[in-house]
Amino acid sequence: MHIKSLERFWSKLVKKAEIHTIRTKLIISFLIMALLPFSIMTLFSYNTYFRGLMYRVSEYSQEVVSRMARELDEYFLDIEALLTKEQDFYLDQLIKLVEGNDFNNRKYVFRIWEDLSNLQRVKPDVEELSIIFPNGNRLSSYGLYTVDYEAFLADYHRLARENGVAILGPYANFLNRIVVTMVKPYPAPTAQGEIYLSAEIDLARLASITDVKLGENGYMFVADDTGRIIYHPDGEQIGTLSPFFQNGVTQGFVDGFNGAGSDRYFLTTARSPITGWTVVSVADADELGAELRPIQRITYLVIAIILVAVVLLAGYLSHALSRPIKELQDLTNRAANNDLSVHIEPSGNDEIAQLGHSFNKMIRRIQDLMAENVKEQELLRKLELESLDNQIKPHFIYNTLDLIIGQLESNKTEEAAYLIEALGNFFRLSLSKGSETVPIASEVEHVRNYLFIQQLRHGGEYRYEIVIEDEEILSKYIPRLLLQPLVENAIYHGILRAGREGTITIRGRQEGDNVIFEVVDDGIGIEPSKLQDINEVLRGIRPLNNEREYFGLRNVNKRAQLRFGPEYGVVLESTLGEGTKAILTIKALEGEPHV
Amino acid sequence: MPKKSPVFTTALPIVVALLVVSSLALGAEREEPLTIAVLPRALGNPIFLDAFEAAQKKAHELGVRLEWVAPFDFSSEAQVEMIENLIRRGVDGILASVNDDEAIHRVFQKARAQGIAVATFDGDSPGSGRLFHIGIDNYRAGYAIGQALVGVLQERGLAEKELDTMIMTGLREAFHHEERIRGFLAATEGQVNLKVRDIVENEDTVEKSIILLEDYVRHNPDIEVIFFVGGWPFYVPSEALPNFQRWAQAGGIAVGIDLFYDALLLQKEGLIQYLIGQDMSTMGSLGLELLVNYIRYGHVPPNFVEVGLEHANESNIDRLLEIHKPWLVK
Repeated sequence: MHIKSLERFWSKLVKKAEIHTIRTKLIISFLIMALLPFSIMTLFSYNTYFRGLMYRVSEYSQEVVSRMARELDEYFLDIEALLTKEQDFYLDQLIKLVEGNDFNNRKYVFRIWEDLSNLQRVKPDVEELSIIFPNGNRLSSYGLYTVDYEAFLADYHRLARENGVAILGPYANFLNRIVVTMVKPYPAPTAQGEIYLSAEIDLARLASITDVKLGENGYMFVADDTGRIIYHPDGEQIGTLSPFFQNGVTQGFVDGFNGAGSDRYFLTTARSPITGWTVVSVADADELGAELRPIQRITYLVIAIILVAVVLLAGYLSHALSRPIKELQDLTNRAANNDLSVHIEPSGNDEIAQLGHSFNKMIRRIQDLMAENVKEQELLRKLELESLDNQIKPHFIYNTLDLIIGQLESNKTEEAAYLIEALGNFFRLSLSKGSETVPIASEVEHVRNYLFIQQLRHGGEYRYEIVIEDEEILSKYIPRLLLQPLVENAIYHGILRAGREGTITIRGRQEGDNVIFEVVDDGIGIEPSKLQDINEVLRGIRPLNNEREYFGLRNVNKRAQLRFGPEYGVVLESTLGEGTKAILTIKALEGEPHV
Repeated sequence: MPKKSPVFTTALPIVVALLVVSSLALGAEREEPLTIAVLPRALGNPIFLDAFEAAQKKAHELGVRLEWVAPFDFSSEAQVEMIENLIRRGVDGILASVNDDEAIHRVFQKARAQGIAVATFDGDSPGSGRLFHIGIDNYRAGYAIGQALVGVLQERGLAEKELDTMIMTGLREAFHHEERIRGFLAATEGQVNLKVRDIVENEDTVEKSIILLEDYVRHNPDIEVIFFVGGWPFYVPSEALPNFQRWAQAGGIAVGIDLFYDALLLQKEGLIQYLIGQDMSTMGSLGLELLVNYIRYGHVPPNFVEVGLEHANESNIDRLLEIHKPWLVK
């Protein structure tokens, strides 16, 4: 159903777009031939380049984030080493003093402050180094202040790993700076509880580790294993749940394209085992695509140029090819409308030029054939007229009329009436209303009238019979006045010259598509040499000596050949003293009278 | 006798109960210890250690939380930033040794606007609207050390001689340092013939003061008198000051303000001729106490609480070495 609808739609489209014209077909063909391979090549190249680019981006991003994850690990291992103290004399002494509420602690506090300060100089990204006591005192590089020890302890135990190290944050520290804090227990617990060493790391350190420019919109961020953002270039994102974190069947960040539409990004991740964080690089998919835009632009430009060039070339070629064809078509139409004066002027020697030459040749041939046909028609008319003229010879008419008068004078009115009727039929059938062909039955009737008249004229010197062996030929058609001259020859050159009674037999039959009439007389016959001469004249082998030579036979023969072809016509057979047979072969014509 | 309303008889006990509960709750709030932040000029300046220890003891005694915070090295900006964050943390009182008189005004006003009591010790900021200042009269301290120098020079017969003098101070912007210099110059004016060739700023840091001093005396061995506005370079043993040691042994005369164990040792070695000190312990303990009393009870202290001066000369040096404690672990 759909296919038929499509076909209908296509047909309408084709009709509307006039795709049936050679010019349109050529243009479309050229366009398809030029653009299809180019488009396929372009698409293939684009896809190949895009895949390559994605691979390179992925590789590069993976290398970058892996390096960053390693840097994070190394940095936090350094910090962990900084916090690893098996035994510190000053700290141990201070712990004792704190436990005893002894405030003569200047020596140890000052030394610890110096140590912390020196360590900070070594690690400038460390915002604060501190010792957290169970009483909530925090001795740090900022001095001494108090914290909520219980809350700190809860955070620590929630995040502590097997080795006792925990990374807390990000949060705002004493100086309202956003930091993450690495905490490690000091292995000298007091009676009141654990003592912890901590290092607060400025997020600027994470920023410096992840400071890689990923285009205009790309960036790096760091998140923990619950998707909470530890560091993000946009400070407001810190502490929130990353939108890229998948919390369904898949847990965590997934490498590759994430998001849709204008918020589509290419993610690459690497995990830092020491911190338990994931470094995520986010590249804007649009920007990745932007690298291909120059190629796209060039491709579009080339396609446009090729398109214009192809259209122009196709237009030129189709014009060059279709113009002579169109011209030929116009000339053919004119020729089909009887204007045979057309003539094409072929240029070049290509197939179309040859077609033009052939066309010209064909037109010339048609002109020749037309002329020949006209000539033949004229000849045919002339022969018909001559044949008709021959039938209404004055002495034939006078003699017949005299015969009628004689019979009237002899009161043979009935015979005279038959004769008048026969003569009238004879002339009526001779004229045949101007028809070129007449039914064979009419022609036979015409001959019968003629024989009847001639028999009366010549006093019954001969008999005649008409034998139509195949009666169906009577309904066929025959050029008019073909049989009468043969009968006339049989009377005058066969029977009458023999000086005795004779018989004239007319036979008609059908052989295949042809109709054969034989006019046979048993008169004087013809000498063989003359018979040969007559037949040679009829076959066109021998030229005529004069126009009147064998006029009647030639007239019949010529008219038959003009109408039906050279294999038709009249052939004589004769035996001297025995008689002659004139055989007329014509094609059986069907249907209405031919004018 | 009119009949009491049932509403009155029902509501009265409820109101009484609510008042009792409210007063208990308020009492509970009052039991929350006060948090008092004390800011020395720098953690790394040992002069404040006396005050630190005294303040801890007093805080424990008074039942308040003590926060002793400062940048390790002197920094006016860092001090201001710390006060900003103390305000954010909502401490109850601030006692600060001011680094930069001008710079501190804005944050002090901000603190006062949030109901935080603000006072100063050691380094004052008179125009900041602070509640009180505890310390010494720095002009008088400068004047006293000037008079002491005049005595030393007269004793050595140098009162008439023009003497090339260098003054080492912390910061020119520090009000108390400038006051000391002003007092010193006033006391020596007309009494001796000092020609102040340079005033060297050490940014209130011990390390820098040592470097600057050693460098200065090496390049200016002919300098004859040095006045130390504070005791920064004296926190190290004499071996750490070889150039100064040679200069002093060659007849250089040094006097200074700030009196502590290591400075006294240098004086005993003869490298310093006279020291005048301030009572940092009293500043720490009394300053904290006055602030707490103001917050708790509304006791308004005097605008200036003077802690007095201590003189160190040949006559009392041994006794003072017994009183003052070292700060380095030896």
